Amino acid sequence: MDFGLTDEQELLLSSLDDLLERECPESYIAELDATHTPPTAFRKALHEAGFASLGFPEEYGGTPVDATTLVLLAARVARQGLNNGYGLELLQAMDILEFGSEEQKQEILGLLASGDVPFALGFTEPGAGSDNAAMSTTAVHHDGVVTFNGTKTLITNALQSRYLLLMAKDPAVANPREAISMYLVPMDAPGLSTNPLEKIVWHISDSCEIFVDDVTLPESCLVGVKGAGFKQLMRNFEMERLVIASQCWGLAECAYEDAATYAAQRVQFGKPIGQFQLIQQKLTDMAIKVENMRNFVLRTAWMLDRDVPLKSQGALCKRYCAMAAFEVADEAMQVFGGVGVTVGTRVSRLWRDIRGHRFGGGTDEIMVHIAGRQIVKDHS
Amino acid sequence: MKIVVACKWAPNPQDAEVRPDGTVDWSRSKSAVSEHDPVAFEVARRLADATGGEVVALSVGPAASDTPLARKAMLSRGADRLVLVADDALAGLGSTAVAAVLSAAVRAVGDVDVVLTGPESVDNGDRQVPMTLAGHLGWPGLGAVGDVQAADGGLVVERATDRGVQVLDVTGPAVLAVAADAVVPRVPGMKDILGAAKKPTDVLALAGLDVPAPVAAAEVVGTARPAPSARGRHVITTADPAAAAAELVDALRAAGAL
Repeated sequence: MDFGLTDEQELLLSSLDDLLERECPESYIAELDATHTPPTAFRKALHEAGFASLGFPEEYGGTPVDATTLVLLAARVARQGLNNGYGLELLQAMDILEFGSEEQKQEILGLLASGDVPFALGFTEPGAGSDNAAMSTTAVHHDGVVTFNGTKTLITNALQSRYLLLMAKDPAVANPREAISMYLVPMDAPGLSTNPLEKIVWHISDSCEIFVDDVTLPESCLVGVKGAGFKQLMRNFEMERLVIASQCWGLAECAYEDAATYAAQRVQFGKPIGQFQLIQQKLTDMAIKVENMRNFVLRTAWMLDRDVPLKSQGALCKRYCAMAAFEVADEAMQVFGGVGVTVGTRVSRLWRDIRGHRFGGGTDEIMVHIAGRQIVKDHS
Repeated sequence: MKIVVACKWAPNPQDAEVRPDGTVDWSRSKSAVSEHDPVAFEVARRLADATGGEVVALSVGPAASDTPLARKAMLSRGADRLVLVADDALAGLGSTAVAAVLSAAVRAVGDVDVVLTGPESVDNGDRQVPMTLAGHLGWPGLGAVGDVQAADGGLVVERATDRGVQVLDVTGPAVLAVAADAVVPRVPGMKDILGAAKKPTDVLALAGLDVPAPVAAAEVVGTARPAPSARGRHVITTADPAAAAAELVDALRAAGAL
């Protein structure tokens, strides 16, 4: 089995390292976290260096790339200590490139080029999340326009996005699988308002409640096919889980490296604490988990690249990586002792950010729901 | 305009280890394009784009320096093609001998208008190759170059000196060693990297080159760690920020740093 990287992957990672060193030092990330600011300048630099269009079709100025390369890049950005710094916007844009109108595609690509987040995904509701059948936001088509009503919540990056990719259902269609459609709604549309939610994780990504009150737009805001919204959204779920897992791997590796370095320097009882076996055991178990995450992510990407049916693999990978990464960050914080919880120590930020991945993109428990059913089905 | 960038596939110092006797263990270092060579490539690319010229990457080294990765790495930096001399007879050669081989390779490329290099290689750091190369070619050699523009068939070269910025008109070919901060080199993207594999590479046989015999040689015979600087060990203990700042300023003045 070849665990080596291709020349292209090595060179691309080397380029990314240069860019991270230049445009995304720890001081920059810490400042973003402290001021709850999105990494717009870094995203712009990523775009200028061609990273923000990797995976896009060539006709949209992109360079097709395999899943393995994408997760390697996402993990490398995360290893720098930046949460959600690469990959997720790319996947969202794919939804529009695949299903959007020409006008929608040009608009989204333009926003990506300027380092902006093109849109936030308006999916979760106070009464509906993974249980999408319970969705209550409505889209009523009439007289060439469509009118939306409802409430969305925990919408990531809503304040920094120009658009909301709104998932809403036609109340006249009973089957929820055929009722949900996808719409690109400007965040400044009359009738749409936001209420920011303060949270203890993911400071560089805002989260909002969004109130949709008789928002009426031309029907051209529909993305793709009416009634096929959920299917369209599902297209990238496997890749999304994999990108989240690769972020967990990268962030965990960052925490592990910090802890190992600290253990080698921090002197207690006359010697570095890394020389005590209790600390060595922590570092050893952390190293095993980081290695497991790396292998899990790369094997899942390898399966995607070869069109091997993932079945439960994506959910297993996301669940394992989110949980293992948090365990690594938690132990890293323990190695730091009291210093680990002080603001300004990177491990405290990593601990917070990784915690968010245990529910972002589907909770640990929903991953069991997805994988468990598949496992039982495969053995029935 | 034909622009040659002399570049080196050199071990990365990040993984090197300095032994207690001051010698360096490079055995665990992976090779990459030498640290400041991308600056020379960037200056070359801009000059070529402004003049409709061609950038030729030129590298000499042991046989192991010719790998697909090395080729792609050099060609992804903005070169149009690559010329390589890769021969084990070149392993461990000093800067004088390397410059002689480079000069023969530049002549073999032919009709070269300017050779650009980085200020030094990341592994040896002798700073000898560009000027010795210029000597072999009989061309002017200029270091610390910050900017190069084409003008009236020649070049306008800007370089930093201890006393300020010097601007020179250079007629005819020259060897220019760029300053490490002359420009910020672009980061190769996926398109550059994929495109690199499609660009041509010419491998020149060392035996086929007319390498000038060295008239004199300067070789490194020893290396040592820099002498450790004496630490002031001035510890500021006050909790009052204004008093701490004042104490710091006084200490820096006393040390002659301000």
